[in-house]
Amino acid sequence: MLHRRITQFFILYLAGVGLLLLFKIALRLSDYVIPGPAEILRTAHVYGTAYAAAVLNTLGVAVLGHVLSIFLAAAVAVIARLKDWVGGFIRTAAFNIQSYPIVAVAPILFILLGDGLVTRLLIAALICYFPLLLSFLGIFSEPVREIEHFYEATGRMTWRLQIKIRALENLQKLNTVVVGSATLAMVGTIVAEFIAATAGIGYRIRIALYQSDLAKILVALLLIGIGTSLWLVLLERLGIALQRKLEGP
Amino acid sequence: MAQPYRGEVTGYTAGAGAAASGDGLLEKRQSDWYGGWNPVVGEHPGKRVFLRGGCGVKLVGKDIAYRYPNAAADLFEGLDFCIRGPGFHALFGPSGVGKSTLARLISGMLPTRRGALAAQGMQRVLYTYNLERLPGWVSLRRHFEETASDTGRSRLNTLLEIFDIQTLVEARFPRLSLGQQNRANLVRYLLQEFDLLVMDESLANVDEATRQRIILRMKALFPERCFLYISHNVAEVARFCGEVLVLRGRSKQPQIVTIPGGDHCEGAEPDPARLERAMLAIVHAA
Repeated sequence: MLHRRITQFFILYLAGVGLLLLFKIALRLSDYVIPGPAEILRTAHVYGTAYAAAVLNTLGVAVLGHVLSIFLAAAVAVIARLKDWVGGFIRTAAFNIQSYPIVAVAPILFILLGDGLVTRLLIAALICYFPLLLSFLGIFSEPVREIEHFYEATGRMTWRLQIKIRALENLQKLNTVVVGSATLAMVGTIVAEFIAATAGIGYRIRIALYQSDLAKILVALLLIGIGTSLWLVLLERLGIALQRKLEGP
Repeated sequence: MAQPYRGEVTGYTAGAGAAASGDGLLEKRQSDWYGGWNPVVGEHPGKRVFLRGGCGVKLVGKDIAYRYPNAAADLFEGLDFCIRGPGFHALFGPSGVGKSTLARLISGMLPTRRGALAAQGMQRVLYTYNLERLPGWVSLRRHFEETASDTGRSRLNTLLEIFDIQTLVEARFPRLSLGQQNRANLVRYLLQEFDLLVMDESLANVDEATRQRIILRMKALFPERCFLYISHNVAEVARFCGEVLVLRGRSKQPQIVTIPGGDHCEGAEPDPARLERAMLAIVHAA
């Protein structure tokens, strides 16, 4: 799984870099616009360690924001699955808000909270929160009648049991949603670092952008890809391990 | 832990008093059909009525009408029936005629559009169907032990033996074959307290010999309970069931007729003539 994901990423990355080099040759662009392979390798050698640390910093914030979103979205979806007005209100609000590009409110957070960890964390959490909430809402609101009927008929159904049934019966869907939103958390954190941070790989990319240093940006992209792939593979493995444990011998 | 009917609780009035009460509830009496027992029924859409007093265990449906939302016509119109307990009875009819819908009405899962269901001594009605699943995160044994009633727990081993799933109790439900899954599902219902268990094709995918053995042993093990078995197997319902309620399309009136079945029990010799009569009557009625 890890091998396949990393290989896929490297193929895409090398194809992208190759395309840039083709442009450079075809349009006879200078090294200032698109650096040559030697310059990219030199930059990787010089800045690799610092950028790897920055990626880990970003990944840490993204993971924290992602976990925060998962818990928050699960809690809200549990309430919103109710058939009363509270559930209806939450569902309508979630559908309306999710259609708005959350990243556009990032400057407001920057104005209110300044740059730093809290702003990065909030933006990361907000960006992956609504897709998670909508998926959780769908899963927790949909009865698994073939299993729930017995508990309903015998008067044993509790809200905890209902959530447990719906979550475990849709574990594969939940896993896919959680893995998919992990990328969004990473995107959110990097976007937050572009506008409101003093650390992280997004902050490093912003500096490289001001310097028009494409080599640094390419090195950063390589490390972001590797870091994100590792996180996604870890999440997928956790999901599979949980599913196997539940399926039993 | 079986759920009683939810709905209005009404007193039971016997004999002419009910007819003379003038409360508009009693529309007509079918004393002969109900064996001299007059349930208080009438315009109670969606209501379940408990009846106290009287004798015997019965569930009476009177002038039942039901229409699915957005459907052009009623599925049932003026449906009258009586399920007498205890015993092993059947609900028989062609596909799509409304057997499962009637079963859901009887078990209180659907409200009637018109008419009423009156229960006497049948407060705990359970409905089970063949597509049900047990949770896959625990073994069968753990699920049975966690969900069995206090009295049901004592008959767990007997039921496992009858249903021939002793060797599967440590397995998870998704690992079982379809027939094994249906047997496991039925076992957990038989571990509950109930007055009437509606079994909607609950023994589907189970081979004929095993099915017959299970039915005979169930009848012997639960002589005081009432079962309503939904099946498409005419020979089976004719042989094992005390009464066979044959449900027919709306074009036929009455829409439901009751045929006496063979009521074959464990240890008794089947009566071929009675069985043949029952089969012919069922096929003719359907």
